Amino acid sequence: MRNKFITTVAVALGVAFLMTGCTKKADQSAEGAAVEQSKELTMYCALPETEIPSYLEAFKKDTGITVNFVRLSAGEILSKIQVEKNNPQASIWYGGNCDSFIAAANKDLLEPYRSPELANIPENYQDPIGNWSPVYVGALAFAVDKDWFATKGLEYPHSWADLLKPEFEGQISMAHPGSSGTAYTILATMVQMLGEEEAMTYMGELNKNIRQYTKSGSAPPKNVGLGEAAIGLAFSHDCLKPAVQGYPVEVSFADDGTGYEIGAIALIKNGPEEEVESAKKFIDWVLSKKGQDVYSTNSSFRLPVNSNAVVPEGAINISDLPVIDYDFLWAGENRTRLIEKFTEVIAAKENLK
Amino acid sequence: MNNRTKDFLWKLKMLRQEPVLVLLIFILLAALSIFVIFPLVMIIRYSITTEDGTYTIQTIIDVIKNASYRLTFMNSVKLGVIAAGIATVIGYIFAFTITRTEVPCKGFLKTMATLPIISPPFVLSLSIIFLFGRKGLITNGILGITDFNVYGMHSLILVQSLSFFPIAYLTLSGILEAIDSSVEDAALNLGASRWKIFWTVTFPLSLPGIFSALLLVFIQSLQDFSNPAVIGGGYPTLGVEAYRVITGMYDLRTGAILSIMLLLPSLAAFLLQKYWVSGKGFVTVTGKPSQNRTKIDQKHIVIPLFTVCLMLCAVIILFYGTVIVGAFVKVWGIDYSFTFDHFRYVLSVGLKPLKNAILLALAATPIAGLTGMAIAFLTVRKKFIGKGYMSLSAMLTFALPGSVVGISYILAFNDKPFLLTGTAFILICVFVFRNLPVGIEGAKSALMQIDPSLEEASINMGANSFQTFFHVTLPLIKGAFFSGLVYSFVKSMTAVSAIIFIVSARWNVVTTRIFSLFEVSQYSDAAAYIVIMILVIMAAIYVLNFLVNLINSPQKTAKKTVKG
Repeated sequence: MRNKFITTVAVALGVAFLMTGCTKKADQSAEGAAVEQSKELTMYCALPETEIPSYLEAFKKDTGITVNFVRLSAGEILSKIQVEKNNPQASIWYGGNCDSFIAAANKDLLEPYRSPELANIPENYQDPIGNWSPVYVGALAFAVDKDWFATKGLEYPHSWADLLKPEFEGQISMAHPGSSGTAYTILATMVQMLGEEEAMTYMGELNKNIRQYTKSGSAPPKNVGLGEAAIGLAFSHDCLKPAVQGYPVEVSFADDGTGYEIGAIALIKNGPEEEVESAKKFIDWVLSKKGQDVYSTNSSFRLPVNSNAVVPEGAINISDLPVIDYDFLWAGENRTRLIEKFTEVIAAKENLK
Repeated sequence: MNNRTKDFLWKLKMLRQEPVLVLLIFILLAALSIFVIFPLVMIIRYSITTEDGTYTIQTIIDVIKNASYRLTFMNSVKLGVIAAGIATVIGYIFAFTITRTEVPCKGFLKTMATLPIISPPFVLSLSIIFLFGRKGLITNGILGITDFNVYGMHSLILVQSLSFFPIAYLTLSGILEAIDSSVEDAALNLGASRWKIFWTVTFPLSLPGIFSALLLVFIQSLQDFSNPAVIGGGYPTLGVEAYRVITGMYDLRTGAILSIMLLLPSLAAFLLQKYWVSGKGFVTVTGKPSQNRTKIDQKHIVIPLFTVCLMLCAVIILFYGTVIVGAFVKVWGIDYSFTFDHFRYVLSVGLKPLKNAILLALAATPIAGLTGMAIAFLTVRKKFIGKGYMSLSAMLTFALPGSVVGISYILAFNDKPFLLTGTAFILICVFVFRNLPVGIEGAKSALMQIDPSLEEASINMGANSFQTFFHVTLPLIKGAFFSGLVYSFVKSMTAVSAIIFIVSARWNVVTTRIFSLFEVSQYSDAAAYIVIMILVIMAAIYVLNFLVNLINSPQKTAKKTVKG
């Protein structure tokens, strides 16, 4: 016993000793921090890494500000800024479903900012308090394996009900709503369209046709490209990407109404002081026509929210799609409950795929 | 004065004679406390507090009550046991064939046996989809099966056994090399059959290594994230579940508790190994000059072993060949025409993260290697206060899923007194403390073979512990030292989940870039990165091998004297 006690004391003393050593260092670095605005900006970005440079280079050309970024998924960014709360390492969070921005705002991790550019953006896309700003929208779509449908002689699905057809048994890939914002948007869309009970029955029926619930929301179209599924449920811009890569993938939409996501951007609360002004400039730029026109040149197929911006060729304007009046705040508030219910329904049918 | 106190005072006295050794022990204990225990305490504390700072165990209760979490937990354990068993058998076959028999192309076999750890593991998962998926080259292309389900436990077992057997191989080849063959030769001279020698001499002598290998693979399998995430299909595992809860449900606390649950089976395996296997080691390296090691050359033993190894090599080549071919084709799976475009792309945009990864791995490797040897030496050979604490804490970071290690490092080092986030230092620390156990376990198994009187002789002749360690012990456990170095270099280069939360804009590395390429279906660009990484790692292994061989082996010197 005594032995152990002495061990603990020795270890504790060691830790204490090293702690004092490090404190001095930390103080020094704090003194060195400049109050002037930096010409560099640090950003956490949830967009695909291949897309990011196109925005940052265009921004640098316009403003001379260099943006350094770390690419993470939106869920990872949320976790990161949550544990970094006392000392955030970045000033901006760019990209990802507004869903996770709402969750972040509820945890008091975002700094409200209303850009003057919001004037050109439809109000129904905006957060009333301005915790985050909308940057792009994407409607839910079906990625289909052109070859599979041709060999089977079947028609592409054109409604949510079509997905339940018996010939699609084991052919549909979607992400798990518990791990993907995309899949949660599907679930919330069904609940908003059909009502909660009926939506759960629908998801239970759909489960019969599901081949695999993927982790990431952008994976189902890739599975379709690889032939692992005939139909993949995801946002239209993710569905269009494998096609550009040369995979035999085409896109169809549910004519009876479909949900959509709003991609967002926000200031991280208490981010590096010297970056705040540049960060605001970046948000202004991303929302401006200039920033939004980049979507038409970098094959991201994102749909701009600024009404003056150019719609990318090959993408279908959201106003031409039968989008429902998707309630984001409601979806954010009911998230945990709906996912738990979904998991129960699916788990009761058959274990998670 | 009771016995314990006496013992304690004796230890103190012994340590007083070697103040430098005491300082080293102190530094190691402090480092383990700061970089292993402190982050762990922080994340446990985080998971049992609410947003406003009050303590609650409600989250733990919720997790335990949840039936699907319990099922997931059992899934992970089951998978871990099976993968550990298979990987250890494969690792043993390779290690035995290479160290104990006369087979041709040993260099090739050695390379094959280390290859699977040198690329990010999700590559194997992708290969398996390309080979055995619905449009798979083998299932569909050759066998004509149109609806083969590649997702699930069977694929996980295959991929995990294949990706983790090198750990078993590295641990076991270290120990098989350390076993003095004179024992086997003596048995042979007495007329025992090779089979009998194997079961009564070689196998019992390698037991400590076998248990180390089982433990290491079991823990690796438990915390593996990328394979279950890609091809787990209907088989949810705890590591993936924890990640899903953290990033999909935004519930960091539950995710942390799930990850901490992963520590339980790992700890159980560790304790089992510690108390059951200790005492099973036999000393064979005694310092008395031995004859040149005779290797098994009987055809009826060598040919079957060689065949099995070759078959395994074929599987490995098939999987990695898929990746290499993929780096040179236009669009993987669609357009197989030859191109260098992907290498051009990688070399034009991707050099910086590649350089970062190499720099960080270079910095972490010697530290991890030497620290590992020092910890193994101290815990096997020396008596001191905090020994149990040292060997246990050195294992902990290894056993946690990477994403949780990352999060715990932010919790611990993003604030005073340890403000380290955003620096290269924090990444190096993760690499060092996460990759220690492979070196430690290998060295411990090897040390158990070596008669302490060798070191005592050195001490008696006036050398201090350091001279003894560097001139007597380290040369004797060279094999394990090399394995430890290779493992830490490779794992530092290819780490994904552990660093995803702690990379910064300044210090970004190549594996996160590869992950992003997978996201946008640019598999061939990812493959090009992987090919380049494999080349870098092979070069590093070559250099490490050269450097480690510079360490003078007293056994060889002794043999030379005898021959001369």
